[in-house]
Amino acid sequence: MEILKTENLEKVYEDNGVPVHALKGINLTINKGDYLVIAGPSGSGKTTLLNLLGALDTPTKGKILFEGTDLAKKSRRELSEFRLQNLGFIFQAYNLIPVLTAIENIEFSMMLSGIPENERRERALSLMHELDIKELADKRPNEMSGGQQQRVAVARAIVNDPEVVLADEPTANLDSATGSVLLDLMEKMNKEKNITFIFSSHDKQVIDRAGILLKLKDGKIEK
Amino acid sequence: MLLKLSWRNIWRNKRRSLVVLGSVIVGIIAVLFMNGFMNGMLNQMLSNQISTSVSHIQIHKKGFNDNKTVQNYLPNPANVDNILRDNKDIKAFSKRVITFGLISSASNSSGVYINGIVPEEEKQVSIINRQIVEGEYFSGGKGEIVIGSKLAEKLDVTLGDKVVAMSNTPSGTIGSEVFRVVGIFKTFSSEFDKSFIYIPMQTVQEMLNIDDKIYEFAIVTKDYHKVEEVKNSINEELNQNYEVLSYKDLLPFLVYQIDLSKESMWIFNVIIELALIFGIINAMLMAVFERINEIGVLMSIGMKNIKIFTMILLEGLIIGIIGTAVGLGLGYLIMLPLQKVGLNLAIYTESLESFGVGAVIYPTVSIDDVIGILIAIPFISIVGAIYPAYKAIKLDPVYAIRYV
Repeated sequence: MEILKTENLEKVYEDNGVPVHALKGINLTINKGDYLVIAGPSGSGKTTLLNLLGALDTPTKGKILFEGTDLAKKSRRELSEFRLQNLGFIFQAYNLIPVLTAIENIEFSMMLSGIPENERRERALSLMHELDIKELADKRPNEMSGGQQQRVAVARAIVNDPEVVLADEPTANLDSATGSVLLDLMEKMNKEKNITFIFSSHDKQVIDRAGILLKLKDGKIEK
Repeated sequence: MLLKLSWRNIWRNKRRSLVVLGSVIVGIIAVLFMNGFMNGMLNQMLSNQISTSVSHIQIHKKGFNDNKTVQNYLPNPANVDNILRDNKDIKAFSKRVITFGLISSASNSSGVYINGIVPEEEKQVSIINRQIVEGEYFSGGKGEIVIGSKLAEKLDVTLGDKVVAMSNTPSGTIGSEVFRVVGIFKTFSSEFDKSFIYIPMQTVQEMLNIDDKIYEFAIVTKDYHKVEEVKNSINEELNQNYEVLSYKDLLPFLVYQIDLSKESMWIFNVIIELALIFGIINAMLMAVFERINEIGVLMSIGMKNIKIFTMILLEGLIIGIIGTAVGLGLGYLIMLPLQKVGLNLAIYTESLESFGVGAVIYPTVSIDDVIGILIAIPFISIVGAIYPAYKAIKLDPVYAIRYV
């Protein structure tokens, strides 16, 4: 089932008055349950594409269709709601909220969705149990290792049952063993819960596990 | 959870939050102190005037207040006396014969307000008997006079010395009498101490040859807040030959001065509050700029602008509430002993006494000031957080999540 589609997607930045063509006509179709890795060298446009697919940025030209709806036509407020209900994010630097404990970080997006406190606590604990991070529940990010933080970030990303999880270089700050454990976890979530994962990475072990590999170079998909 | 997040955000940079809180607390204490000091001083000016001579309400023959001549004596004072005795809201009243005159000693003379009083009645409406610093109030002997300390200095007289008081009589002749100083008073006002003399009423009536005529009833009400009400009720019972005046009518300049001072205190409060707003804007802006990346993350996971805005306003509000609570608490602890023992400004005695205040000021914190602070400070803390909150929601999420 088609979930995300781009049509002639272009993005042009202004850098000190000089236009930079980050993406040049990207056509892409992503189906429900895909495990897609966008790879490419620095400056190839991976992060730009991920930001556009994650409704964090708007294209200069072209369309991004999510289940047939053009995201470019949504207001900023509607895009917030869209991200909350449909997307999960995993960042390179984990980006947990430093003043919240692990369980509170996981509960946060459920709180934004208006899920009652008891239910969200139950769901967060159950997911933490599933991801084997229950012992981290009351720890704050500065009391956890990078790998632990990223596992909590994975839990935060999937706890709201998103359609798509976007992961920007999720293993870049982890050693290969920890990175491997994390990728196992995300693969498991992809298979068991049929969550669509879209990675941006140039990490070999991420690329090797790709269900679909999309190589970018100079803002274009390499054939 | 939003409240929890805001609360924890405040304490992530304790030093900065404590500095902002400190400025709020100092601001509140400054407002409390300045307002308390001004309230205390103005109330003292007013209550000193009321308690030394003006009283709450005065009754005269119509026109007497503008033209205090000996011809303007009260018609039918017995009727007025009866009306006042029947009024349940009146605590006490005193009859007075008031006229201008001249007092002379062997070495000097001075123009004075001659107050013919019934000593026992006067005790109930004024504090002159309690302000005697030398001698006694009145013993009932013949030819007794009580004068102020400044006047005694000017006349160069002391207890037991003779003085001569004289004034016009209604028939146009000069009435005079020799008195012996039995008491010297010192009030909070040097001007009062220089120009008021007290003589038993009957002696003044004989000196002026006015039989049992009187010029004024000075009244003290049971409830200070009901003065205007009592004044109106007396007015309703008297005909148009009388004037019934409250202290507000008798001291219009002082009342105006109090109103003016309250207005200027309002401006002072606004200046302090503006300074607090800018302090809060500064601190909250720093807090937002420090968290650009985090705000980007919150935006990307779907936190709506209104919630981000609310979160930052809550941070401002929490600072305002804590600052208000601590500021009021500390301010109260500072003001409590000052309210009781007063603030001794002895080095300014002369100028303060010329204003009728006295050297010791007793600051008074009014409930209005406390309510004002309770409303204003949390409110301005929110106002101070609006701009930083606006800056936060205007962040571009792509820029914000990349911000290091």
